[in-house]
This record gives sequence, C-alpha cells and structure tokens, in this order.
Amino acid sequence: MNKIRRVLHLWGLYARMDALWITRDLKMFLSWSISDTLVNVGGLFAMLLLAQRFAGIGSWSKVQVLFLLSYSAICGGLIEVFFGFNIANISRRVGRGQLDHVLIQPQPLWMSLLTEGFCPFSGSVVMAPGIFLMAWALPRLGIHLSAAWYGALLLNMVASTAITLSFQYLWGSIAFWAPRAAEEINSSTSRLLGELRQYPLDGLAPALTAGLRGVLPVGFLGWAPSRALLGLDSRPLSLLITPVAAVGFGLIAVSIFQKGLIHYGRTGSQRYLSFGHRG
Amino acid sequence: MAAPDPSGISHSDIAVDLNCVSKTFRQRQRSEKLGDILKNLVRPVFREVAALRDIDLKIARGEIVAYAGPNGAGKSTTVKIASGMLAPDSGTVRVLGMDPVRQREIYMRRIGVVFGQRTELWMDHTVAASYEWKRVVWEIPQDRFERMVGFVHEMLGLGEFYKTLVRELSLGQRMRADLGMALLHEPEILFLDEPSLGLDVLAKRSMLDYITGLNRDRKVTVMVTSHDMAELEQLAGRIVMIHHGEIAFDGDFARLRREFVDRRVLLLDTDSPLAPNLPGATLISTEGHRHEYAFDAGETGVGDLLAVAAQQTQLLDVETHRAPIDDIIADIYVRWQKAGNRREVSESPHGNSPTDRP
Repeated sequence: MNKIRRVLHLWGLYARMDALWITRDLKMFLSWSISDTLVNVGGLFAMLLLAQRFAGIGSWSKVQVLFLLSYSAICGGLIEVFFGFNIANISRRVGRGQLDHVLIQPQPLWMSLLTEGFCPFSGSVVMAPGIFLMAWALPRLGIHLSAAWYGALLLNMVASTAITLSFQYLWGSIAFWAPRAAEEINSSTSRLLGELRQYPLDGLAPALTAGLRGVLPVGFLGWAPSRALLGLDSRPLSLLITPVAAVGFGLIAVSIFQKGLIHYGRTGSQRYLSFGHRG
Repeated sequence: MAAPDPSGISHSDIAVDLNCVSKTFRQRQRSEKLGDILKNLVRPVFREVAALRDIDLKIARGEIVAYAGPNGAGKSTTVKIASGMLAPDSGTVRVLGMDPVRQREIYMRRIGVVFGQRTELWMDHTVAASYEWKRVVWEIPQDRFERMVGFVHEMLGLGEFYKTLVRELSLGQRMRADLGMALLHEPEILFLDEPSLGLDVLAKRSMLDYITGLNRDRKVTVMVTSHDMAELEQLAGRIVMIHHGEIAFDGDFARLRREFVDRRVLLLDTDSPLAPNLPGATLISTEGHRHEYAFDAGETGVGDLLAVAAQQTQLLDVETHRAPIDDIIADIYVRWQKAGNRREVSESPHGNSPTDRP
C-alpha cells in the first residue's frame, strides 16, 4: 500500500514537472503540440482512407477498422504518457551512461522507471486522437458494451502496452553490452511497432501470423485484442490471450534486463553523454 | 569501545573502507585489416585493463582526502565503486558501515555525489524545480529541506539564478547549483569527482571555500579527485595518489614533497651577466643580472649553493621559493611513466611483473 501511495506521489511530482516544462514557453508549447498532433493524426490517415475507400479492410468493417486504429493509438499514447523521456526508449539511457542518474536515487529501480517518464500533458498529444476515434467508433460497433467489456478493454490495453514496453526493453538491453552501437536501437524498434500495429493481420500465412505474435509481437498491439473485443475471435478465453502473452513477454524482458543490469554493475559506463537529466 | 584498526583509525571513525579492491575492464581490440575484421566478428580479441589492483584505503570521518593520479589511473573508478555505481571484481567496500551496492537505497540517502562532467540537475527546469524534485524523491522532510535550501543559498549564493533554467546557467553557476543539490539531504560523506572542471579561477576558489567550509562547519567527510594539485593542496591535508590502479602514495603534501622531490627555485641578482656555476642546481634562465636555478632541497642545501655563488660573483639579492606542487606532480608522473615503460619492456607477454613503485 505504501508503495502504491509512493508511486502516485511521484506521478504527481512528474505531472507537475511536465506541466512546468510544457508551459515554460507558450510559443514552443503551441508549435510543439500542433506539429505533434498533425504527425500523429497523419499516421492514422493511411488506414482511415483505405477503410473509407473500400468500406472496410478484408473481413473488417469500416467502424471495426476505426476501433483497431483507436485501440493501437491509445496504447501508443499510454507508452508516451507513462514511459516518456526515454524510459520506453531505454537503450538511449543505457547507451548514454545515464542509468547512473537513476542508480543514485534512494529508491528501487523499478519505481524510478515506472514513474520518471510520466508526462500526462506532453504525452497526451499522441493519445488524444486515439480517444477521439474510439469515442466515435464505440457506439457504432453494434456490440453490447457492458462494464465487463470495458474491463476487458482496459485489461487488454494495459497488456498491449506492457508488451510494447517489454519488446523495447528486450532490444534496448543490447545497449548494456554495446552502448555505442545500440544507443538508438529503441528508435528503430519503436518505429517498427508503431508502423505495423494498426494493420489487420487476417489472411496471412499461419507462420507469419505466429511470427507477428512472437518474434515481432505487433499482433498483440492492436489486431489480436481488437478481434477478441469485437467478437471476431470466437475462441473461448480469447480476451485473455494478450494479457497472458504480456506476462510471458514481461518475464523474459525483466530477466534479460536484469542480466544487463548485472553487466552494467560490473562494467559501468565509460560513455556518458550529457543530454540532461531525462536524457 | 570500537576496536582499533592497524591504520590507527578506530572502526567507528572510519567513513570509507576499501579492502583489497580490484577492478579489471576488458577492452576490445580492433584492427583495420579486412582479414582481422572478419576474424574479430567470430573471435573478438580483448585486452584486460586493471583499473584497480588490491586497493586498501581508509578515510576517517570528517577527513578531506585528495585522490589524485594521471589520466586513466583509476580515480573515477574508485569514486564510482565507493558511491555504489560500480561493483568491484574482488575485495570489500564499506562506506559508513554499509555495502554501497547491496544497500544502495539506504546508502544513497547518506552520501552525496558530484561529478564535474555531469549534472544531477534537470536541464529543462529551474534550479528551484530540481531541488523540489530532490525533496520528493529523497523524501526530505519539509522543514529540513527549507533549512538546507536556506543554508545552500547562503553558502553558494544561488539567489541570482535559483529560478533560472539549468540549461541557461554558466558552468560555474551550474556547479554551485549541483553542489547545493548534493547537500540538500545532509549527506555524511561527499564524493566529488573533478568538481572544479572547467571553472574559472574565481569560481574555482569559491568552490574550494565551500568545500572546506562544509568540512569545517558540518564535519562532512570529503573525497575529492582533481587534476589540479594546487587546488587539492589547498583543500586536503591528505593526498592519496594512484598510479596504474595501485596506491603509490598516501600521506600529507609535505611528506609528498620530501619523499619525492623537494624542488625549489633560487633567484640570484648579481653584479655580472654571467651566471655562476652551481653544482647541484640547474640554471633555468638568465635575464640581465638575474639568474634562476632549480634544485632539490633534499640533496643540496641552499646555504651551500649561496656559498659557492658568493665565491664566483657578488650577490646583490637572493630569493628562494618552493616549486608549485603541479611541477612536483608532473615530475612524479614522468618518473612513473618512465618506470612503467621500463616495466612494459621487461614484462613477458603472459606474465605479470611486480608493480614498480617510485
């Protein structure tokens, strides 16, 4: 209970700091939020236009595609809101030797990593278009939206976010062993997930679908949970597939990251790049 | 009653205790030959670099210790190990009776660390916001925080830039703000790694005053590394010199001068433009009738030199002073370098010879 209170307290601190950061210069704030909104809305447009032109994609209706888009956009937004400032792009912090900033804090590492990237104002620009789309799509889906359904939606979103984070940490851990070469690896993995997560993957060969739910788990970031939530996947417990996968990916990521941390403790960082506290 | 330690410091008085601490890094060796590049992909070649070899170091509570050595000697590695950012390969580290790595969370509440090359401040926030962040993360009670903010304000003169973005501060201001931040939780020991790096003369002098003030008034134990020996001499009574990962000297500055070389400068004003020939002294320069010599006071007495000079010319004025500590240290480093080169030549490719100590 104390730990939860502490996490909430720290989120409050970082929310205040985020508000201060974003409002330190009105011109910068406006230009930054407008350009970021345009980029994020633009990212959704390709799929939106395809769905509009063909009245859906494959077996997915136009509204269902919109739901898939909104789901993946919100999950991307959750990463931005809770794990901004290079907490999700951990390879940058590790590769730049900036993990030392976290290690000298008198609290568990997980608590620093869980709270330090919280930026509800600057990060919400990514999530806002997703929420907008979902609010538009939900009443048009023609499914019964019970409290249990909303609970399943929330659970799956948290699971998809956890899988994204795990994937980032799995690849980002390479920076423990190759700081210079792998410093920017999370930019690539993040871009890869961002570009692929909004596509319906039906009709692909089983091996490819399995790959997109394993080696490259984009299937869990939009397609698989959306199918389950929209009733397109009739298998029992389909709503639990993404949460179970999240546990699996999470465990692997934690184990690899811990190995990296042990290596970091042994070798330290000979390469410190000063890009400020949040790196 | 605490048991006495062979070093003469009782256990309860020891702030830092490094016992047989060793640390070795592996450096990948690279070659530009195409054949080697392919070979290195499959079987990379590494070179082992011993950053620290069996370091034994004790620092008493309330002491200021200067930790010096040439580039790559192992200074920063020691500070990182003592501050819990790096684990030693072997040996034990106890600081304030704690293991810095295993007891990291409690330990970090009791120590302060300042690295000259990096900042713990938030670059895109004001100094005030960074301090508030520290209060929350370190869970510093509000009244204690306000007292310490008042203290560092007064000591470091933060008023003029307290509400300025850290990104916009000068280096001197940033270092003051960083030192202030390290003090907010009232650490019992401060590890300062090159705290005056890049500072101008005035800012450097202020930084030295702050550190000595802290030690004097608040009994904070300080371990400080620097390349500026004059600065260290002003700051610390004791100097530990590290070379090739080993402690090569541990004592006070006067002993350092005595043991290595007590280099002095002798200035003679004579009635002749010809410099007297003084055995045991080296003529550095002659300007008009003024002649400058360097000599080792441990080997040649100034009285003997003056007697010889008086036989050759008429002395109008005499001046003598100690050579700056930087010159002495430079001599020591050169001596070590030569000894190191000799050792490298004599070492077999697979064996380790005993370390040369000057």
